[in-house]
Amino acid sequence: MKNPTFSKSALLFAALLASGFGIRAEAQDAVTAITNAKIMTVGPLGTIEKGTILIKAGKITAVGADVAVPPGATVIDAAGRVVTPGLIDAHSHTSIEDNVNECTNIVTAEVRVADVLDPKDINLYRELAGGLTAANVLHGSCNSIGGQNATIKLRYGAPSGDALLFQGAPPGIKFALGENPKRASFGGGARRYPATRMGVEVSIRNAFLEAKAYKKEWDDYEAAVKAASAKRPAKGAPAAALPPAPRKDLQMQALKEVLEGKRLVHAHSYRADEILMLINVANEMGFKIATFQHVLEGYKVATEIAKHGAGGSTFSDWWAYKEEAYDAIPYNAAIMASHGVLVSLNSDSDELARRLYWEAAKTVRYGGVSEDEAFKMVTLNPAKQLRIDKWVGSIEVGKDADLAIFRSHPFAPDTRVEMTLVDGKVLFDRSKDVAARKGVAATLGGGQ
Amino acid sequence: MRNNRYSALTAAAALAFAIATPALAADGPLVIAGARVVTVSGGVLENASIIIQNGRISSVGSGLTAPAGARIIDGKGKTVYPGLFDGLTYLGLAEVTQGAPGTVDMNETGDINPHAKAWVALHPDSELLPVARAFGITTALSAPGSAQGGQSLIAGQSAVIRTVGDTPMALTVKAPVAMHMRFPTGAPVIDFSQGFPNIEPKTFEQRVSERKKNQEKELLRLKGLLEEARAYGEGQAAGTQLKVDLPMEALALAAMGKIPVVMRVNAEADIKSAIKFAAENKIKLIVAGGAEAWRCTEELKKNDVAVLMGVDQLPTREGDPYDAAYANAATLHKAGVRFAIVTDDASNSRNLPFEAAMAHAFGLPRDAAIRAITLSPAEIFGVAPALGSIEPGKAATLIMANGDILDHRTSVTSVIIDGQETSLDNKHQRLYDKYKAR
Repeated sequence: MKNPTFSKSALLFAALLASGFGIRAEAQDAVTAITNAKIMTVGPLGTIEKGTILIKAGKITAVGADVAVPPGATVIDAAGRVVTPGLIDAHSHTSIEDNVNECTNIVTAEVRVADVLDPKDINLYRELAGGLTAANVLHGSCNSIGGQNATIKLRYGAPSGDALLFQGAPPGIKFALGENPKRASFGGGARRYPATRMGVEVSIRNAFLEAKAYKKEWDDYEAAVKAASAKRPAKGAPAAALPPAPRKDLQMQALKEVLEGKRLVHAHSYRADEILMLINVANEMGFKIATFQHVLEGYKVATEIAKHGAGGSTFSDWWAYKEEAYDAIPYNAAIMASHGVLVSLNSDSDELARRLYWEAAKTVRYGGVSEDEAFKMVTLNPAKQLRIDKWVGSIEVGKDADLAIFRSHPFAPDTRVEMTLVDGKVLFDRSKDVAARKGVAATLGGGQ
Repeated sequence: MRNNRYSALTAAAALAFAIATPALAADGPLVIAGARVVTVSGGVLENASIIIQNGRISSVGSGLTAPAGARIIDGKGKTVYPGLFDGLTYLGLAEVTQGAPGTVDMNETGDINPHAKAWVALHPDSELLPVARAFGITTALSAPGSAQGGQSLIAGQSAVIRTVGDTPMALTVKAPVAMHMRFPTGAPVIDFSQGFPNIEPKTFEQRVSERKKNQEKELLRLKGLLEEARAYGEGQAAGTQLKVDLPMEALALAAMGKIPVVMRVNAEADIKSAIKFAAENKIKLIVAGGAEAWRCTEELKKNDVAVLMGVDQLPTREGDPYDAAYANAATLHKAGVRFAIVTDDASNSRNLPFEAAMAHAFGLPRDAAIRAITLSPAEIFGVAPALGSIEPGKAATLIMANGDILDHRTSVTSVIIDGQETSLDNKHQRLYDKYKAR
């Protein structure tokens, strides 16, 4: 799959670096202006038919129809084009190829996607070319409770995996229900617990009983430490002996953070029964589910999902590829949204991640979602689900300059992404990409 | 009930091609009035009408007089297209591909299955058929073998089907259409439905040399099989082949050029090898997959090899342009290579126009994009006399939509197959109606 030798992409990548990312230190007061654009802000300003966006130090400093371009600004003339917030994929496994699943245990809450991010994964660049600027990179669905996620920005070519991380994004964790954790659809091989949806419920309940006990140990310890330090010892008396600290357990630590509401639960789920199951377990154990992922039968229990306050991140129309997807319908997003569930459309695929704008358009066809609400499902809504909407998801002053520039309306059948910016830097520019191909072909002595 | 003139291939020697257009004498004439008509073969007609009689299009244009007793469908504000034709699917052959093997009839065991016939195993009540139909897929190639692995070297024969019918015969428009093979790349065939295999540790050089050796061996074997089949067919024609051998009898169709061979092949070197192999062995090749067809336009054009291609795919090589798969169709179009855009799927067949849209966004002209999902597959599979465009004399298999069929926001409002307006009811609509207000 990966070509370890000097490849065309390496050259393209080098060209890309030279074109703006990483190498050149941008002056903090340099201003970029995107002018003459139709701007779909997905924010309070709605859609501006012809306007300007100013960017400084990676942030949006002005948006509007009557914004003056300061002298010396780098101007991107977007006449005839449509600028939107960068798209956000709430379910991705990009940049962690061959490291998606720690499959060997029922609970793997201790493993971290952030440890295996590859900033040079070419698929990051290909996704930028589809307007994507941020993604929720999740552990796989092998286990009832899987590993810790990484919310990233698509800073392709960044010097390290850590440099992809979305600063300020709260941590999360993957849960998985149904066929995948019970390993039902995978022939051959030894089976391990759980092998049924009954077992999936037990494994989650059991893990949280353990986590609650672990949390209590630590809460008691911390209370004792606090009490001891508050008590001033009598003159001449020895300081009060502290209780021994409990042993730190990386797996339990992650679940403790879930119980404390500090770590977001992203629960892979298909069938309505298992969705209700997890809501019940969560209510009983005292934690919240941030998002149901896939949630293909969410439309059957949309009321319950909305009541719990969980979001739903779904496929637009995939169905019947396995038994638990047999009742999946393309109206899922529309029904969940109409019941008050915060809905996003995700890819779960480096290929589909490149055309999420058209995934959103399908909800207009399936269930009559308004175009504005539909486009939110790949911008502002996933930002809210990942709790990063303070920084991204819409074009507003003060937010990050993560933007996509489309040839035409993002739902139009002839549209494509012409340019993508992350933190105000142009990380994809189709015209430069196409021009670079000729250079690469010449360097390598021919080719396409 | 459909009155179908499809005749099953019962007599061993007889090759019965059937392009069945059911006569619908019971239904009176039908007129679609005042629509925008994308004929595909004759441009776009504004405010035009289509007169349908006995399951066929009798006239198209403006200023037509509706026949007495005709039912009128108002086409105002609507656009009519030929029914969409998905040129590579397993519609009718599998319901749930993963985890429900009892519903899957795509891949026979063993490596040599030329006598496996898609049209004998079609499931008329598959929920996938009405779903595909409701969103405009009226016609499909239903083929054995699959891209996901587990395919025999020779998987069997395909049929062109309509997406409505109560029996396998009623679904079948034409059979046999093509022989389906996997081009032997020499790489080990992995069937992921049987779990993930443990890969033996080997060096890159070892793998390359083993692959090459395997490929030579497999191609020699395939060549031998084709020679044997040709001899069998010739013997049969001469009346000297008395003992019936089902695989040979079936393979003879392909070996003697009576039906084309669809080969799954994606890599540049493999496409070129397949073209060479087909020329040497005098088989009529159609490439399926063709991810790197854009690298082989000269060879494809020179040998008149058509390509059944998907669009929404990642590039095959890390260093390829990001839009290699999106622009593949445009490159073939410019080079004059014949191709159809296909989903190579079944449950996602309804996304066919959106794959065409992506090809359009990356350089394929709009009319060519629509042709690639209507008339082009009909031509490639030899059913263009009856299907693929809106012309007098052709089957009245067409769809009406409230907008541009390449646009994701558009809804299909009518589906007419062989002159009969079909139900748009489907599993998804029923579940939507049941749960939308729960």
